[in-house]
Amino acid sequence: MKILNKNQLETILNKLAEEAEVFVPMSKGNSSGFYSWKTRNPETERLMLDALNVYLSPKNIGFPQTEKMYSIKQSGPDVEIKETFEDSDPRIIFGIRACDARAITCMDDVFLTRGYEDSFYKARRDNTTIIANACYNPGPNCFCAGMGIDPTEPNADIIIRDTGDTGYIWETKTTQGEQLSARIADLLEEKELKAPELKPFKTNVEYAGVAEKLKSMFEHPIWEELSQTCQNCGICTYVCPSCHCFDIQVKMWGDEGYRFRCWDSCMYTEYSAEAGGGNPRPTTKERFRNRFLHKLEFFTERYGYPLCTGCGRCIVACPTGINIVNIIDQVKEANVDV
Amino acid sequence: MKEISTKIKEIASRLLADGQVNVFLAWEKGPEDHLTHPLAARSAEDAQKIVFDEYSIHNLSNYLLKFRDGHEKIGLVVKGCDSRGIIRLLEDNQFTRDRLYIVGVCCPGMKDPLKAMKINSGLLQDIALDDKADKCSNCAYPNPVIYDELLGSEQQPHVSGERKAQVEEIENMSPDQRYGFFQETFSKCIRCYACRQACVACNCRTCIFDEMRPQWVGRENNETDNLMYHLVRAYHMAGRCVECGECERVCPVDIPLMLINSKLAKDVNEFFGPYEAGIKYEQDGKPALSVYSLEDSDEGFI
Repeated sequence: MKILNKNQLETILNKLAEEAEVFVPMSKGNSSGFYSWKTRNPETERLMLDALNVYLSPKNIGFPQTEKMYSIKQSGPDVEIKETFEDSDPRIIFGIRACDARAITCMDDVFLTRGYEDSFYKARRDNTTIIANACYNPGPNCFCAGMGIDPTEPNADIIIRDTGDTGYIWETKTTQGEQLSARIADLLEEKELKAPELKPFKTNVEYAGVAEKLKSMFEHPIWEELSQTCQNCGICTYVCPSCHCFDIQVKMWGDEGYRFRCWDSCMYTEYSAEAGGGNPRPTTKERFRNRFLHKLEFFTERYGYPLCTGCGRCIVACPTGINIVNIIDQVKEANVDV
Repeated sequence: MKEISTKIKEIASRLLADGQVNVFLAWEKGPEDHLTHPLAARSAEDAQKIVFDEYSIHNLSNYLLKFRDGHEKIGLVVKGCDSRGIIRLLEDNQFTRDRLYIVGVCCPGMKDPLKAMKINSGLLQDIALDDKADKCSNCAYPNPVIYDELLGSEQQPHVSGERKAQVEEIENMSPDQRYGFFQETFSKCIRCYACRQACVACNCRTCIFDEMRPQWVGRENNETDNLMYHLVRAYHMAGRCVECGECERVCPVDIPLMLINSKLAKDVNEFFGPYEAGIKYEQDGKPALSVYSLEDSDEGFI
C-alpha cells in the first residue's frame, strides 16, 4: 500500500500548493479552521491533522460566505451583465473529516441535482479535490455514526489514515484522486501499515424513524418548550458544515454595481420576511422548529438522508447549551397524540 | 452556592405555586459538569430542576425580551451585571417593574461553560479554563443593584485592570495603527449576530441590521460591511451598555467587543457624566445620551 510518511507531509503540501490552493486544518489565534497552506505562519499557526477537527467548518471553501456573482450596468430599462465571476481555480481540501465531507455531499445534492445546476458552485466543485482524513477517535460531541456516516470511510477522492506511527495510509478512491496521487507519486512510499480500530462513540444517536415521526409534529408543544432558551442568533447555522441557505442581493453605485450571494440563516427574522410585510416565522419558536425540521425531516424527505452530519459544532458553540442530540432524543420520546 | 441554589429553588417553587409569577427564569444542569444552561420554569415541578452554580453565567435579563409583549409576570435570578440589564429594560420602557420578581444573587464570579465546551471539544488547542470567566475579571458590580430578594453575602468588585490597560493601548495608537487594529479584528466576524442577540441593550423591535427598505448596512462579509456593522452597534451601545460582557463571551470568533464597550462607557462618563449605565433605578431615569443638557460637552464624542 501507499504510505505518506509524516516527515514528507510539508513537502507534499508545498508541492500540491504549486498548482492549487491547498486548504488545511490549521490553528489561528484562539480559533481553528481550514486555511490556505500558503498563508500559514509557521511561528504561530499549527497544522491540525492530529486534532479531532477544526472549530470553523470548511464550508466556505466550496460555498463562500460572500461571493460576487456578476457585475451589471443599467441603462434605462436595460441591464447589461458585464462580467460573471465564476471561480474555477483548482483547489484541494486536505485533511477534511468524514462529517465535513458528508456536508459537501449534501451541498452537491442541493446545488447540482434535482433539475438545476448552480454554475458558481459547480465551477468551484469541479475543480476541487478532496483528501479526507479518516477518523478513529470520536470526540465528546461527535455523533456522525448516528447520522449514518462511517467516520473511517469519508466520501473523498483520496483517504488518508493516520496509523499513529510514522505515516498515513494513502488510499486513492476516484479518477480525480488518481491524477493528484500521480503528481506526488515519487514522494509516497510502498509499505504495509495497519489502520487503527475505530474507538467507541461517547455520544450515541438513534436517528431511525425520526424523519417519519417529525411529519406529525409540526404543531407539537415540544417546539415552544425546546426553543424557550434559544437566543436566536445564527451561530449554529454558521458553524454548521451543511447549513447552506443563502441570500442574493445587489450593491449599486448609480447605474453600476454587482450581485452577490451571501450566507443567510433561518434564525434571522429577516430571512422569512415577505415583501408584503408579513412573516410566517415571527418568533424564535417557528425559526427554531424550521431549523430542526430542515435538518432532520425535510432534507431526508428530499434526498434520503439527514442534513445533520453529527460533527457536533453547534453543540460546542451554542451560548445557551442547545443540543441537537437532546432534541433528537426528545422528539423520539415525544407523545404525538398531544 | 449549594445553599443559594436551594433557596432559589424554594423561592421559585413558592412563586410559581402561588401564581405570583407565570414563569421563573433560572438555570438547570446539562449532561456534563460544566454544562449549566438557562431554564424557563413554568410550574413548581419545573422549578425542581433549578440550579445555581459556578457556571450560571448567562445574563437572564436578556430573556425578558421574549416576554415583553405579554402580561405574564416573570420571576428571575440576576447577578450584579444581569441586574443592571433589568435597569436597562426598565429605562428603555421594555418592561414595567410590577411584572418582575427579581431574586438577586451577590456574585463571586463565574466560570464560562462555553469556554469549557470549547476546551473539551477537541476542536481547539491551547486554551485553558480560567478560574473566572473573562467578563467576571472585569466586574465592578458583583452585587445586584435592583432586587426583591437578595441572596448570598456581599462581594467585592473584581476588576483586574487588564481591560482598562488594553483600552489605553488602543487610545495611544496612531489613527492608522488603530484602523489596522479594527480592520484585523473585524475581519474575523462571521456576522452571526450573536453579540446582538445576547445583548439586553439590543432591544429594538426591528434592528437596523434587519431593515431591508432601505437596507442600511450591507450583508457582505467584507471589511466595509463588517466595520459598518460593528460601528453602528457600538454607537447604539454608547451610554447604554451595562457591561455584562455577554456579547464578548458568546462571540464564536473571539472578537474583543468589551474593549469597544469599555471605551464608550469611559467616554460617556467623561463627557456627559459622571455616568454609569444601569446602576440605579429611578422613575423615568434615562441613559446619558437620551437626555440633553446645556452643560453637555461638545468635545470629543462623535
